[in-house]
Amino acid sequence: MNNIWKATKLDFSLIRPYVKTICFTMILPVVFAAINHSLLTGISFAMCFIAMTTGYTFSITEKNSMERLYGILPIRKSDMVIGRYIFIIIMGAIALIFSLVAHPIILLILGESVSILDFINAATTGIFLFALYTVFQLPGYYKLGSIKGRVFMYIPVAGFLITLLLITKIPVGKSMLFVTLINSPVLLIVFAIMLVAVMYAISIWVSIKILKNKEI
Amino acid sequence: MNNYLEVRNLSKSFEGFQLHDITFTLPKGYIMGLIGPNGSGKTTTIKLILNMLKRTSGEVKILGFDSITNEQEAKRNLGVVFDSNYFSDEWKISQVEKSVSAFYENWNTQKFSETLKRFHIQPSKKVKELSKGMQMKLMLACAFSYDAKLLILDEPTSGLDPVSRDELLHILSEYIEDGEHSVLFSTHITGDLERTADYITYISYGELFFSGGKDEFIDSFKIVKGGCEELSADLSKKMLGIRKFSTGFEALVKTEDLRQFAHLNVEPATIDDIVVFTSRKGEQYE
Repeated sequence: MNNIWKATKLDFSLIRPYVKTICFTMILPVVFAAINHSLLTGISFAMCFIAMTTGYTFSITEKNSMERLYGILPIRKSDMVIGRYIFIIIMGAIALIFSLVAHPIILLILGESVSILDFINAATTGIFLFALYTVFQLPGYYKLGSIKGRVFMYIPVAGFLITLLLITKIPVGKSMLFVTLINSPVLLIVFAIMLVAVMYAISIWVSIKILKNKEI
Repeated sequence: MNNYLEVRNLSKSFEGFQLHDITFTLPKGYIMGLIGPNGSGKTTTIKLILNMLKRTSGEVKILGFDSITNEQEAKRNLGVVFDSNYFSDEWKISQVEKSVSAFYENWNTQKFSETLKRFHIQPSKKVKELSKGMQMKLMLACAFSYDAKLLILDEPTSGLDPVSRDELLHILSEYIEDGEHSVLFSTHITGDLERTADYITYISYGELFFSGGKDEFIDSFKIVKGGCEELSADLSKKMLGIRKFSTGFEALVKTEDLRQFAHLNVEPATIDDIVVFTSRKGEQYE
């Protein structure tokens, strides 16, 4: 088994006792989507919530002084970091898939219509927002730990509030790029994926640098 | 390969503390005690060996592999036990195996189960439900399950009751019996070393004081005792540490200097004596 995948599995085993709690946090965004009658805000809220749980692995590691375990395992530090990013991305993907199924169902029950374009826009926005939050959070946690770096937990909250503000205030019609992307789902997805990939690549590089220089 | 651990000119500078030029080797099939008073640099040395701290200079080879350039290979056959557990408190013992075994190709599940049974650890228990001694044994059970050739233990006996300490030392002695395993363990409970160690590395205030055979270490020093009138300034200069009483004094001296103290009572020194007297750096205390 690849070392990166082993590190991902190790992170999952850290979170395992807390899975129920994390799943429970996914219910609230469904309610939020129902109140606002908006798939986009519901998904944004869900991705904000799940991004706030990314500190769990760091908290558990710190609480149990498990950096010593990570320090003795025969695995490269870079593999450990990439493994953790993959784990966080998987968590985000599961939250996104759940929300993309649950939120439209609730909205349809409430009599709202959800078009394919709404669906694609919400999914793309969800991916982008989650990536935006986590690419800053993870290097922060690696640098400061989950206790000192608690401030990074609130990045998604700030991001979510800004997103809410932008959704209502952004002059959609005036931005050529924005209009082009919104009107072309394929272009929007490709653009989002490329942007997310670059963001994660830089974030992983920074995190590896931090971990390699960190003394346990 | 004769040496399982080679540490050469290892140095590390912190603000207010410097570990300077530590050199020692641990041959295959032996137990080495790493001793020194609190804050002398034992844990720093171990963390530098494990690459958990960045060294200022020096070289470490574990089982022939450089600990930086061949870190993965070096750690594949290395078992480490710290003074406290490093698994998640919420893990069940079976979960510990699942989580750790994936990283070791030669992990033997049957051996793990047998070791747990021998150590009276129930696999259904959570890590947090185990006593400190049991947690120590769990870390050992993991190391035994992938047949770690070199065991490094950082203060494993501190905080253990005498029965658990005795048990742990017995386990370590058994572990090296086949001549294929080695143990480095740091401790400030020198009684543990008198029983089990073959080699001693003594670090005092960041400096290497001695590294070699235990018997050679003990034989290198003697305790001399005498009355107040027998203590001259010349003799004092040759003493590594002195303790004065109202009726006389006792001091630690090098065995090679013993001829000058022939008129005094001479007794063998224990490891404790050597550490206590030398840690005072010749300072006299009454």
